[in-house]
Amino acid sequence: MRVALFIPCYVDLLAPEVGVSTVRVLRRLGVEVVYPEGQTCCGQPAFNSGFFEDTRTVARHFLDVFARERCDYIVCPSGSCATMVAHYYPFVFRRYPHDARRAAPVSGRVRELSDFLVNVLGAADLGASYTGKAVFHTGCHQRRELGLFEEPRTLLRHVRGLELVEWENDALCCGFGGTFSVKMPDVSTAMADEKVRALEATGADTLISCDSSCLMQLGGRLTRTGHPTRVLHLAQVLDAGFEPDSDENNQDDQDDQDGTKG
Amino acid sequence: MADREQFLAHVRERIQSGGARPHEHYQPTVAPDSVWTPNRPRPSAWEPSPGELPERFLAELRALGGTGARVSDTAAARDYIVELARQKGATLLVRWGDEPTEALGVDAPLSAAGTRVAVWGRDADARDLTATADIGLSSAECAVAETGSLVLVTSAERGRAVTLLPPAYVAVVPSARLVPRVTDVIAHYAQAGPLPASLCFHTGPSRSADIEQSLAIGVHAPGEIHVLLVE
Amino acid sequence: MARMTTTKPARQRDAIDTRHTGPEHAGGDFNARGREALKDEFLHDSLALAQARLSGSRTTTLATLPDAPELRARAYAIKQDVIAHLDTYLERLADAVERAGGHVHFASDGADAIEYISGIVARRDARTIVKSKSMATEEIELNHRLEELHPGLEIVETDLGEWIIQLRGEPPSHIIAPAVHLNRFQVAETFSQVAGEPVSPDLEALLQFARRRLRQKFLAAEIGISGANFAIAETGTIVMVTNEGNGRLVTSLPPVHIAVVGMEKLLPRVADLSVFLQLLARSGTGQKLTVFTNLITGPRRPGESDGPEEFHLVLLDNGRSQILGTEFDEALYCIRCGACLNVCPVYRQVGGHVYGSTYSGPIGAVITPLLKGDAVAKDLPNASSLCGACWEACPVGIPLHDLLLKLRNRETREGLAGRDQALLFAGFAQAMAHPTVYRLGAAAGRIAQAPFIAAGSIRRAPRPAGRWTGTRDLPPIAGASFRDRWKEGI
Repeated sequence: MRVALFIPCYVDLLAPEVGVSTVRVLRRLGVEVVYPEGQTCCGQPAFNSGFFEDTRTVARHFLDVFARERCDYIVCPSGSCATMVAHYYPFVFRRYPHDARRAAPVSGRVRELSDFLVNVLGAADLGASYTGKAVFHTGCHQRRELGLFEEPRTLLRHVRGLELVEWENDALCCGFGGTFSVKMPDVSTAMADEKVRALEATGADTLISCDSSCLMQLGGRLTRTGHPTRVLHLAQVLDAGFEPDSDENNQDDQDDQDGTKG
Repeated sequence: MADREQFLAHVRERIQSGGARPHEHYQPTVAPDSVWTPNRPRPSAWEPSPGELPERFLAELRALGGTGARVSDTAAARDYIVELARQKGATLLVRWGDEPTEALGVDAPLSAAGTRVAVWGRDADARDLTATADIGLSSAECAVAETGSLVLVTSAERGRAVTLLPPAYVAVVPSARLVPRVTDVIAHYAQAGPLPASLCFHTGPSRSADIEQSLAIGVHAPGEIHVLLVE
Repeated sequence: MARMTTTKPARQRDAIDTRHTGPEHAGGDFNARGREALKDEFLHDSLALAQARLSGSRTTTLATLPDAPELRARAYAIKQDVIAHLDTYLERLADAVERAGGHVHFASDGADAIEYISGIVARRDARTIVKSKSMATEEIELNHRLEELHPGLEIVETDLGEWIIQLRGEPPSHIIAPAVHLNRFQVAETFSQVAGEPVSPDLEALLQFARRRLRQKFLAAEIGISGANFAIAETGTIVMVTNEGNGRLVTSLPPVHIAVVGMEKLLPRVADLSVFLQLLARSGTGQKLTVFTNLITGPRRPGESDGPEEFHLVLLDNGRSQILGTEFDEALYCIRCGACLNVCPVYRQVGGHVYGSTYSGPIGAVITPLLKGDAVAKDLPNASSLCGACWEACPVGIPLHDLLLKLRNRETREGLAGRDQALLFAGFAQAMAHPTVYRLGAAAGRIAQAPFIAAGSIRRAPRPAGRWTGTRDLPPIAGASFRDRWKEGI
């Protein structure tokens, strides 16, 4: 099984540890992982703001990079970016038959990470351990365009030491919505606060999601409002507890955010 | 003011202007917890026997705050109505003048008990009196078990106001006129030719939740509904 | 239009309706108006309660239907057919209404509709009109305009919630719960002013007052004006789905009934009601049926003593024809159930007034720019995180979230998205299409961000990032990107 990694631009730049954990998790399951280095972005930011021509420019580059990649699947640790390529590329190119033909086999091979693990590899227990009480936030695209509600929960229920709890208003959007988060900041923040209140009510110490964008929105609000909640991507939790200090390794990656390497 | 031909021509022209663009089509949902997602477990269809219909109807009506009862014959229905009028101290009851309502024979016992009866379609002042009546009484075309609804149609003897203006309203329906579903009624009228001026599914007491989302019963239309199912 | 003088003594009027409900009257931008609305805790609690109740009941009752998914697909197909052949169905509808003894007027816009209705008011020498809920009449500001043309004319909204906000001069804040933003003390204050004496703020007293006061109006009115949920082409029947009963009184007691209906609200056949009656009430409030589901076909028949003597159906274009033949025509499939408002996470926070339009929530954000033009309603398509909950709730399957996205695209093509944004995304596209540029940009970003990082986080940043950091921390660009880590070896 050979997969090409599709790492969203904001994971590449702002949360690379998510990509690192994704690689480790896949390799542990015997998957051969390649990373096409020319990739940049799927084009979703331009798309959500209505700039369809600019989206096509970026999407054509995406196709250039991935169309030639020989792989069984293209795996992406982001529900919203997987949705962009798998679900929205046909719409982006619907008046451009040549691009549409190129896009179809690429769109068809894109799978969000939890989808790939559970529905392609048939995996459930990855051998991870993480001590904590967590709520899981299902990103809107993941839920409504990809229909992947159970898969992350299936994986998390096998993580030793993890208590997964449900929370109120589970289906409400976190308020990110791409540029919406800066175009309508008061409304966006109010939406985040609604989720924060629901999290507080459960007493959870950890927030997990398959979407780093949602984690950025909710995590950014949690820290600003003084919550000590650990905010983790699914991949990081599935990668936890393997080496004696692998948790600290991840923590080091997160601390390494002040612009220096090391 | 656009004239009809101009208006319709404009609509036609606008529709045709869309000629070459890609057609939209229906997208089913995929979220496992959405009611619209095709591959989710389905409840079984309700296939009642006729004997089950009265209890289902009454359960639905009661859940909506209406009062329902099965009575053995028209005499029992009459007794119920006379007793209701007595309990309410009703001075005026207005009823439909159609044959099934006539056949209840309530006029004499009510008058004897001090309740005046006005008959829609027969008494010239029935329309005006309805606005001050204590109780309205009618029959129904049929009743729907699934929802606890009465199906009411209009005619010279069947005035809408009788079922709307008084604060209390009684309908008498033979159990044999119960049908399972709303869709059964629609299917019937879809084939039945011209429709009456009004065909109304009247489902329980009138309700509003407009003040602080608290349920308010009987603001404009009857808050008290009684349906008698006659065996 | 000549001003009419009344020939009879004026009746007591409770309210003069001067409300403007168009987006051209909403000041500031959506976020700014939202910021104000966010301060209202009662509003927020009411909206949260309304959503929980209405949406919870919605899913419970719909889940009992064995064929809900198929019904939704059929509903979409029926509406698609109606819109694709709207001219044919409109003609069929008009013929059927006339065969049933009614009159049909095709109104190209609000002024046209009002001129027609005004003619009836004059001919009948009407002094009181009772109205049941109709968003189409709010869209054309019917109350206000008719009162201007006919001094002394009283137009009374008879839905309890609509009457309350009419008395207060406020626009509705929800498609089916217009007074959701008010508490009972506010209602009592308003009723007391109308009554000229104190009305107690307890529910029973308020309801009794409303019943008595409005009953007088129903019995005195010369004209009743309503909307309709559906108009059936085959038989000329309009269908009204209501709970309070005022709709029944408005359409039964006065000698004239005028129904104002958006021209897209058609169904081809009586049989099609099977699909829509299973979906409408369940989707809106979780009821299997509302209290009154009324099929009205023309005026009273010979020999009948109630029901209107005259029935008029006014079919309203008012911008709908501009949507036909475009990539937005699915917006015309809406049956006005309100399900989308009851799941929208944005509406939940700010309520309906912030949309500045007759129509609020997701459907409002879509049809307001379609009916009124983008320039007037610029903000609305952007007032969404595109979460898709609206589409998921819609019983007809209208992809509201995709329509919002297409509206954003339309704004960019009309130059309404602003030069800054256009430049930003042009630059974005170039950077993302050229990996070297992308990496150089990231490197530049690492340098530029340095002064703003404190304890591993960015808490204060210049615009546009400042709109984020005002309320949320931001992670900085990592020293080593994923690509760097990959090249080092994982």
